[in-house]
Amino acid sequence: MIYNSCFDIIGPIMVGPSSSHTAGVVAIGKFVHDFLGGVPERVFIVLYDSFAETYKGHGTDKAIVGGLIGMDTNDLRIRQAMETAFLRNMRVEFAFEETCPFFDHPNTVLIRAKRGNDEVLIGGVSLGGGISKICYMNGLPVNVMLNASYDLEQLKQFALEASVCGAVVRSRGYGLQNHAGIA
Amino acid sequence: MDFKTMQELLDCCEQQQLSIAEVMLQRESQISGRSRQEIIDMMKDRLITMKEAVDAGVSDASKTSSGISGGDAVLMGRYRENGDSLSGELISDAMRFAFATSETNARMGVIVATPTAGSAGILPGCLFSLHENAGLTFEQLVMGLFTASAIGYVIANQSFISGAAGGCQAEVGSATAMAAAAIVELKGGSPRQAVEATAISLKSMLGLVCDPVAGLVEVPCIKRNVIGAAIAFSAADLGLAGICSRIPCDEVIGAMYEIGKNMPRTLRETALGGLATTPTGQQMKSRVLNARQEYPPCHVGTGSGLIHYPSDGAAD
Repeated sequence: MIYNSCFDIIGPIMVGPSSSHTAGVVAIGKFVHDFLGGVPERVFIVLYDSFAETYKGHGTDKAIVGGLIGMDTNDLRIRQAMETAFLRNMRVEFAFEETCPFFDHPNTVLIRAKRGNDEVLIGGVSLGGGISKICYMNGLPVNVMLNASYDLEQLKQFALEASVCGAVVRSRGYGLQNHAGIA
Repeated sequence: MDFKTMQELLDCCEQQQLSIAEVMLQRESQISGRSRQEIIDMMKDRLITMKEAVDAGVSDASKTSSGISGGDAVLMGRYRENGDSLSGELISDAMRFAFATSETNARMGVIVATPTAGSAGILPGCLFSLHENAGLTFEQLVMGLFTASAIGYVIANQSFISGAAGGCQAEVGSATAMAAAAIVELKGGSPRQAVEATAISLKSMLGLVCDPVAGLVEVPCIKRNVIGAAIAFSAADLGLAGICSRIPCDEVIGAMYEIGKNMPRTLRETALGGLATTPTGQQMKSRVLNARQEYPPCHVGTGSGLIHYPSDGAAD
């Protein structure tokens, strides 16, 4: 069951305007922030499908950057996330694609982020109502629900292994092309 | 005590002689290990945030940053004060508070997703109108939120609650159904009557597409929330009158899932069809988007330079 708690339905408490295109995306960005242990200095964000078509109206760009800076879904500073990113020397680039090659859902995002020597490639999907999950990590599929608890250290280990194994899977043509230099 | 369908929910209620709200509260306590009081307090926090969003919206006549909405909660308030509204105080206030919440949401204010932000106006609209006009206490409204969450929990897991996945029927439809059930229980109706009201309200929303102008959660989303609040009261009245849906609630939810799956991509929150592509919708879009920040064009094909930083130049 994707939605488990009554607070998955009544909640999150969040900055508008969209639970899937704003709050759920903040959570994905925040995951990357926590994964890297701080604000990345360089990110590349690919928004797919519904995200790509409507990100401006929903503040999806601000939301993902706000999360990457470390903000929570109810943080009013999300409104100024772009300016904050600039002031904190975070270099942000965006791309927009029609369909996502690694997960079949209209609300998907791929983030490549670098902080110091650490770099990671993470795919997230916002499932609706502010609930999201991480579905792709360094070339391999994963399934990490962000409304449940998870073991970050274990995921870091997985990411490290995925960056090696991923190359094998990809060479067989199952996954995305991936040339990310993973630390 | 768990349930996946409305029938199972009703079985839980009827076997143990409990309301839907009480079943959901006990279930939450079981799965989270939190005490009853702790869970009630968490829900109360959400109710208070909802009230703050309503209060911010009812008196704010400003336009949203896009300029395409805002100020209607205030207009509705003036109309309501004249005391001459056709739908009466209860529904007029529900519509006013729904406006207030959805306008606050569009202004990027803090709201509570119920079940989504795009449909966040309906439940607070109905609940706070019951508080103002029918004397319901905040404690009672909190229980209404548990009723609503049980309904949303079944719909979300059996079907969907986001416009991108299943159209507006999944968002405003789910929220209206949740509100209808909450109203029924708050007015002393049985769990079965609440589920019938759920089915009746959801049926009247089936097929509703998600076609936001310029991709904003404003046109038509805000007014759909407002009308959703009115439908919730109508459906609750039907439920309380003992009127049943001829199609069982679980089958209605199944139908919503089927319809959503068959809905074209253009009508699922992509702003590529419906009202979004009307001449006026298109004009609004170009006005709004011209005023906003653009990113340099950067379309990279899948399987080539997808995950390279564009400013490094396309590798591969």
